[in-house]
Amino acid sequence: MSRANLVFYINGKKHEVGGQAAFQPLTDYLRYGQSLCGTKVVCAEGDCGACTVLVGRARTVGAPGFSYVPVNGCIQYLYQLDGCHILTVEGVTGCQSDDAAACRLNPAQEAMVVENGSQCGFCTPGFIMSLSALAYCDYYKDYIGKDSLAEDSLANQTDSLKSALTGNLCRCTGYEAIVQAAVSARYEQFQALSQVYDEQAILKDLEPLLSVDVSVQWQDPGQSGPVKSGPAKSEPDQAATTPLSQRQVFIPSSVASLCSYLAENPDAVLVSGGTDVSVNMNKREFKPLKLVSTARLGLDQLKQLDKDELEKSGLVKLGLGKLGSGILKVGASVSLAQLEDYMKEACSEFYKILWVFGSPQIRHAGTLAGNIANGSPIADSVPFLMLAQASIEATSAQGTRLVPMSEFYLGYKKLALKPGEFISAVYIPMPVAQEKIKLYKVSRREHLDISSFTAAFALQIESGLIKQIRVVMGGMAATVMRLGEVENFLIGKPFKLETFKQAGKLAASSLAPLTDVRGSREYRLKLAENIFSKLYHEIEEESLVKK
Amino acid sequence: MSAQSKDKGGLNHDSARSHVSGRSIYIDDMPWQKNELVVDYFGSPVAHGKIKSLDLSLAKAVPGVVALYTAADLHHNKFGPILQDEVLLAEEQTEFIGQPIVVIAAESYESIKQAKKLIKLDIEELQPLLNVDDAIAAGAFIDREYVIERGDVAQAFSVAEHILEGRLVMGGADHFYLESQSCLVYPGENKQLVVHSSTQAPTEVQHVVAHLLGLNMNQVVVIVKRMGGGFGGKECQATHPAVMAALVALRTGRPARLVMNKDDDMMYTGKRHPFQNDYKVAFDGEGRILALEARLYADGGAYNDLSTAVLGRALTHIDNAYYLPNVSVKGRIAKTNFPPNTAFRGFGGPQGVLTIECIMEEIAAYLKVDPFKVRRVNCYGIEERNTTHYGQLLENNSLPELFDRLAQSSDYEKRLAAVQEFNRNSKTHLKGLSLTAVKFGISFTNKFLNQANALVNIYLDGSVQVSTGATEMGQGVNTNIKAIVADEFAIDYERVIVMATSTEKNNNTSATAASSATDLNGSAAQLACRAIKGRMQQVAADYFATQEVGIGAYPERIRFQDGMVFDERKPHLKLSFDDLVGHCYRSRVSLGERGHYATPSISFDWSKGKGTPFLYYTNGTAVSEVTIDRFTGALKLDRVDILMDIGKSINEGLNRGQIAGAFFQGMGWLTMEELRYSTKGALLSHSPTTYKIPGIFDLPEHFKIDLLDRENKVNVRGSKAVGEPPLLLGISVWTAVKHALSFLSGENIPVLNSPASGEEILQRLTHYLEGAEGGLPSSDSAWGVGGSVLLRGRSTSRVKSKVSEARR
Repeated sequence: MSRANLVFYINGKKHEVGGQAAFQPLTDYLRYGQSLCGTKVVCAEGDCGACTVLVGRARTVGAPGFSYVPVNGCIQYLYQLDGCHILTVEGVTGCQSDDAAACRLNPAQEAMVVENGSQCGFCTPGFIMSLSALAYCDYYKDYIGKDSLAEDSLANQTDSLKSALTGNLCRCTGYEAIVQAAVSARYEQFQALSQVYDEQAILKDLEPLLSVDVSVQWQDPGQSGPVKSGPAKSEPDQAATTPLSQRQVFIPSSVASLCSYLAENPDAVLVSGGTDVSVNMNKREFKPLKLVSTARLGLDQLKQLDKDELEKSGLVKLGLGKLGSGILKVGASVSLAQLEDYMKEACSEFYKILWVFGSPQIRHAGTLAGNIANGSPIADSVPFLMLAQASIEATSAQGTRLVPMSEFYLGYKKLALKPGEFISAVYIPMPVAQEKIKLYKVSRREHLDISSFTAAFALQIESGLIKQIRVVMGGMAATVMRLGEVENFLIGKPFKLETFKQAGKLAASSLAPLTDVRGSREYRLKLAENIFSKLYHEIEEESLVKK
Repeated sequence: MSAQSKDKGGLNHDSARSHVSGRSIYIDDMPWQKNELVVDYFGSPVAHGKIKSLDLSLAKAVPGVVALYTAADLHHNKFGPILQDEVLLAEEQTEFIGQPIVVIAAESYESIKQAKKLIKLDIEELQPLLNVDDAIAAGAFIDREYVIERGDVAQAFSVAEHILEGRLVMGGADHFYLESQSCLVYPGENKQLVVHSSTQAPTEVQHVVAHLLGLNMNQVVVIVKRMGGGFGGKECQATHPAVMAALVALRTGRPARLVMNKDDDMMYTGKRHPFQNDYKVAFDGEGRILALEARLYADGGAYNDLSTAVLGRALTHIDNAYYLPNVSVKGRIAKTNFPPNTAFRGFGGPQGVLTIECIMEEIAAYLKVDPFKVRRVNCYGIEERNTTHYGQLLENNSLPELFDRLAQSSDYEKRLAAVQEFNRNSKTHLKGLSLTAVKFGISFTNKFLNQANALVNIYLDGSVQVSTGATEMGQGVNTNIKAIVADEFAIDYERVIVMATSTEKNNNTSATAASSATDLNGSAAQLACRAIKGRMQQVAADYFATQEVGIGAYPERIRFQDGMVFDERKPHLKLSFDDLVGHCYRSRVSLGERGHYATPSISFDWSKGKGTPFLYYTNGTAVSEVTIDRFTGALKLDRVDILMDIGKSINEGLNRGQIAGAFFQGMGWLTMEELRYSTKGALLSHSPTTYKIPGIFDLPEHFKIDLLDRENKVNVRGSKAVGEPPLLLGISVWTAVKHALSFLSGENIPVLNSPASGEEILQRLTHYLEGAEGGLPSSDSAWGVGGSVLLRGRSTSRVKSKVSEARR
């Protein structure tokens, strides 16, 4: 059983799309197909937030309904959105009547008006969506006190509110007025979405559709495709003879479907959150003939393995089963935002890194598995995973196997996956208490930026000596790498500044980073050297505080 | 008086409600016409090249491609706002990467993409000039040298106690308006065109379109509803896409739309001018400047654009808040193979002011005194030391008060002590604190631009439309004008609509630039209102006089208040404004008026470098505190306090938004925003992924704006212009970094170029912390810090050229 059309809802209205129309970014469909022009496009690569929309997927736990997350519409292609309810700025404007004049503004919009949070207005719809997310997304349920923010907790909450808005750039206001609006908005006065849209009816309509695979061919006649009211922005009609016309997208509804599809189509490109793949499509003419969206696989396990699971996992065989405080399983569908939330308690160092990873929009769309599979030497999650000696669960029609992180990268963006295999989960041995974890990211801007340099350390100090240490660096070579030589140098040495200074020099002398737009070779080398001294001082300071 | 909230310091932005609900319409939101064409262009692949041949035959055959045009299809190809030195479509030589050669019109964007790939261009690569030093060496300049001089510089240097000299290299910046350059042209009858453009300069667009297409200006109507940001970038540079779309519309008879994508816009349009400034300063033991000699080089890019005026403003603003008794400042525009650099909020002012604020910091570091004291001792006086180096008298000088009040309210002295204490103790971080000022001259330095006209029409129901030459780019000029007009008639704000800017309503307008849109257009609108009001008063006077109430017709005693009109002698007898409008109409009295305003008392003579170019100055001070990570160079802005004299605000809420936004743009330019180029001259940081403007977390926890409440008698409603001046207060962040470095530089003056990125800061830290040891390998590296040269007394801050880095 399968379908040839995508089905999704936008602001309560059903859309069915097939054929080549499925191969366009949501923003093109909204703006040029549906005349929903409130959603703006600036960078078309998920780095400014002007295109922010809320995407709702049916909840798997809790009350039946949709769980919404804010994402960048410019890098969400329609085939990623099958079965979703999408809300745009037009859909959160406190009314859904066609009579625009009858609309009243929602509390975030009202606050943005009153606080002068909008100047030229081009970024504003994106900010409105990020603010509306605070009221409408499960993720933000306990995020802020919804009953107008109490004065005493304002400072704490301001950071939380800023964090929710990190993915939105504004060039006019300097953000001061926007923060004021975020602080003063009466989130509790938002109209419940269930009162605006008949979510149960939408769910009921979508439910039977979600149990089947979807296979869309470029050449299919699109049913109710976008009414092209103007020249197509992204994809025009292609002559049927070009190879592009052979493009197809497959949306499996189960792991089994995916395995058998990949067995036959090992060259297919897997799209998880699409935060990298879609950028390549928008900017680098990346047009794979076969696409697979993993959006409906539901591999959303995020939990510590118990004894039985550990036995079954095969991790014991890898020698990782015995490690300290347990092993966390992160399913391939788990978003970076979910992981961030989890790490807040579980590992504050990794949380700090996830907190500055991209933006909320990127973290809600992107997955840990996707970040690993993208294979960038400046991937923010990889240093920690390398440090924690995580393992990748690779699945194919032949079954599953585990690949240690240290063996996963064969070269620049070259993975140790066999044809037909995909990442189904990541197992992370969580750091043990006696081990000190320190993670560093250096970037031009602290938030919403790609790293120039990353480093990760795990060390144990006993009676003034370095008993154990692992050192990982990113941005210094074609892959994120362990620095074995430096580790060997440090083990057994006294915990002193001089030791770390020497280690820094040793590290710098053994590395050969490139100069690129994010920094020169010299800059990276200096960072690699200095980070050891920074580590020393921070640990020293913390131990002083503890004493 | 108004239903809209005024408690946040004025009317909310004119478009706020449509902005927040996504209903504001920008160019690319306008509905597609059924036969509309999309337009783009094919540009030069090299920074400098000689076109040997161009073959369009394959591109023409691409399905969906409708037309390809080259320079031969233009009536004129040369244009430019000051010098007519620029070509729209390159013919024989190309001067920068992306310089347009072929205009492409097609039915879809995909067809354009295909066509671009199939254009066969044979181009011989010539040696490009990719930095100021190379341009100087090659003698490649645009326009002439400009000079401002006063006193006897040579004499002052010959007797001075202390002399410092140095070079300051500052990078450019991308405007990063969120809405890219956009234009949509509808063809009409008889070669008439309606051009919807995202531009700050509708008349400029009208002029260039007409000129290059061989039309009369009256055949071209340019309409600007709004821009999604401008910041100067849509003054001259909006003309190029407009001409291309207009060419297509004129020739094909079909609507034509050109909307640049962000990457192309960033790569191929001009930016803030990078500057390379050499300076030499003489001062006494207190840090009082005795003479300044400076040579400014603006990197103009390939064509002049507005470079002459930008350089002019750098030269007139190099004094900033400080009295310079003996001055010689000279400036030139280097011609390089980059897109022509253009207007950007501040317009050369920031590049001049950064130089003197850098000097202030260096004098203080040299004398080992508090930089605030050096600034204070040099600050322009009230009764003396109060004329600028170009001879303008400072009236109502608020600078001393701004310095002293902010130092007090921000606890400067205590915090300076805390910073010193912190730096003595911290092994991991370094702090800096800096209080700087701005004095920004208001008026276009080109006198004839200081005029505006406004059209006010009252309709039969008493509702009002006002049209001016001001364009709305988010700054709120329409909201200001709406308030001015509504208040003149004392009617509800809702009764007034400020119309889209159109050259059909307002002719020969000046660009919305130089912070002056409200000053000029608001004044013109006020004049129009007053003329209508005078006529209405006459009608009202006659009306009340005929009521047999014992008063004669006395127009001057007719009052407008809360939507009503009455004679002040019998205030209980009222007529609503709307009814009076009806009376006027039936009395055959005109209810429309065009006001024209020309700024009085300004003039400047560049042949002498003297004059009174500015109607007044907008002043302010800011103090910034920063923390630097000693190991990574990472910079954090901890606290900002701003105090400004912006006169009586027409709308305080909007003005605060201008201050915060401008400060941030200045801070971004000087810290995280970096234009990095390939060795071939291609911009590498051409999207927000690699070009980082400040984000929400760059707003410090403590960010405070205070205003002096002082009437500016020479301007509309006692207000002062506010658009650009606060951008220059962002300089306090950069000088705070320099201040922090002074704690490490020992006997040396701390050297810092702009932007003070993490990499730049780490390089300096390394140099000072590790001395010679920190000098990393490779002499051509950005990391090669120049040594100090002893000039007189102690060490000076002379550094070797660092140009290659600024443009790397």
